[in-house]
Amino acid sequence: MAKAGTPVAIMTEILKIENLTKYFGGLCAVDSVSFSLDEKVIMGLIGPNGAGKTTLVNMISGAIPPNHGRILFNGTDIAGHKAHAINNRGIARTFQVVRIFSKLTALENVMAGLVDRRQKGPWRLAFASLVGGFGKQSQNPENRAAAEGLLELVGIGGYRDELAENLPYALTKRLEIARALATRPKLLLLDEPSSGLNPAELVDQIALIREINKQGITILIIEHVMKVIMDISDRLVVIHYGKKIADGKPEAVYTDPNVVEAYLGGESHAAR
Amino acid sequence: MSKRLKHRLRSVAVVAALLILPQVVQERYFLHIVVMAGIYTIMTMSWNLLAGYSGQLNLGHAAFFGIGAYSSALLAMKLGVSPWFGLLGGGVIAGFFGFLLGFPALRLSGPYLAITTIGFAEILRLVAVNWVDLTRGSLGLSGIPLLTPIRLGSWGMEFYFERDYYYVVLAAVVFTYFCMLRFTHSEFGVSLQALRDDEQGAQSIGIHTSQYKLAVFTISAFFAGMAGGLFAHFTRLVSPDTMSLHVTFDTLTMTMIGGLGTTAGPILGAVLLSLLSEWLRTLEDFFRMDIRLVLYGFLLILTIRFMREGLVGVVRALKEGFSSYGKGRNAGGDHD
Ligand SMILES: Nc1ncnc2c1ncn2[C@@H]1O[C@H](COP(=O)(O)OP(=O)(O)O)[C@@H](O)[C@H]1O
Ligand SMILES: [Mg+2]
Repeated sequence: MAKAGTPVAIMTEILKIENLTKYFGGLCAVDSVSFSLDEKVIMGLIGPNGAGKTTLVNMISGAIPPNHGRILFNGTDIAGHKAHAINNRGIARTFQVVRIFSKLTALENVMAGLVDRRQKGPWRLAFASLVGGFGKQSQNPENRAAAEGLLELVGIGGYRDELAENLPYALTKRLEIARALATRPKLLLLDEPSSGLNPAELVDQIALIREINKQGITILIIEHVMKVIMDISDRLVVIHYGKKIADGKPEAVYTDPNVVEAYLGGESHAAR
Repeated sequence: MSKRLKHRLRSVAVVAALLILPQVVQERYFLHIVVMAGIYTIMTMSWNLLAGYSGQLNLGHAAFFGIGAYSSALLAMKLGVSPWFGLLGGGVIAGFFGFLLGFPALRLSGPYLAITTIGFAEILRLVAVNWVDLTRGSLGLSGIPLLTPIRLGSWGMEFYFERDYYYVVLAAVVFTYFCMLRFTHSEFGVSLQALRDDEQGAQSIGIHTSQYKLAVFTISAFFAGMAGGLFAHFTRLVSPDTMSLHVTFDTLTMTMIGGLGTTAGPILGAVLLSLLSEWLRTLEDFFRMDIRLVLYGFLLILTIRFMREGLVGVVRALKEGFSSYGKGRNAGGDHD
């Protein structure tokens, strides 16, 4: 706790987005969006279907390059960098439609994320595999324990030796979160992690996201389920047809006339 | 622990059996077939790393085999390099071509990559046909030197007979197997499988997929090139046929039937199909056609349709069947 008289710790900006824009042919999927995100905050990103939320996350994570604008991560512009390089810098993500490694076990999925890729490229790993000690290195005890810990954290410890393709859909979404956390991110981007969950699972999900945040990880979460987003967001950004239309405290944003209009006017998909 | 010991003992038994095989069966024709099976085993293991573990459908693997064969033969014939270094040199040169073929794989996948790699092998085959000064064209290189004798003090080994080559190829197979086992059961192998299963997912956890593809193409080509070098010094004849599609197709068939993306599959497939195809050859007069290809095609369809993991999958299913049968009986016993 801060001593009396000393200033409260100044929030540092981890992510700052400036005029980010993406066109798909003639369609402007993300239209000059700007916002900044302080460290250790949980920020919700909402908007009707097709608003451009996933596209925004794709640009931040490097899956696709933006047409214009800057993405400052800890002060460095990473716009247009490759996805693997952005992950190496400390941004991890999950996907709206899961992209797990189906023929690997749950444990191996997470262990793939644990490899320190800032230090080790393929040649070094290949060489190390030949000269390293006997036994299966993919199961080296430290990594194994860490991977098991992450599977426990997301609540699928019992499935560790199951092939990922055999997991029920809801659990593959959690596996993706564990895999993302394995890369030790400072910023985690979650693209609709709660889709397809039942009410009991939603409660677990909220607790999990809080727990991850408590470990000092900043979170940007796209969510359709209003209960989740209102519950956990410190801050809410709304986009509509690629444009940012609201930004602020969840309660304030929820009653913002622009937002109400956007949800009721358009396909009122998310207005639950 | 005891399971591991059992595993070790089994490995020792297999190696011992392989070591005494040429002493037991001395028929040269048979040993010739076994040596060729060994060379194919290196081909299937290296192709499996690329296609099975990394998902890169390379249909130009014969090119690496041919490059290794020609390089190692020419190094010995034109430059007088010891064939032992030539084997390594053939691997390295093939590896370099593998690296080059990795570049199209950065942009292409699936059928597009497959067609590109066929084109790559076909171009190299045509180079071998037409660069007559170097390769003697479709006549091929003949009179490639034998492996030179090894002497260690009073002990020596010369390479005249199939039996002698058998041991060299066996050593190469064991070496390749060991490397593949290490590659696939390591962080390297997990990364390859990750990029195979989902490239974008792999990139999202920091895997530099382009570098991995280049690396695995290079490594795989190195081993295929080494197999080519062994072939050159064993058969002493290398023609452009070494780069033709049927070499790739044989490799693919053996690997798939044995079990794509498994450790034992490529070995099982290469050995069984090599022996089987020799036996079928004896039936050719009876059927008046190459029954071999018919059977390969049939087995391949069966594998793809019913058993993606090939023979390894069949064995695994049988084992599981037996053990669950056993468990079922035990459970029944508990009931009593
Ligand atoms: N790769 C793509 N190519 C063409 N159009 C796309 C692509 N990705 C998204 N879009 C379009 O961009 C718009 C925004 O999509 P998206 O970001 O997925 O929305 P959201 O995640 O908010 O539902 C939609 O109109 C979608 O059809
Ligand atoms: Mg979306």
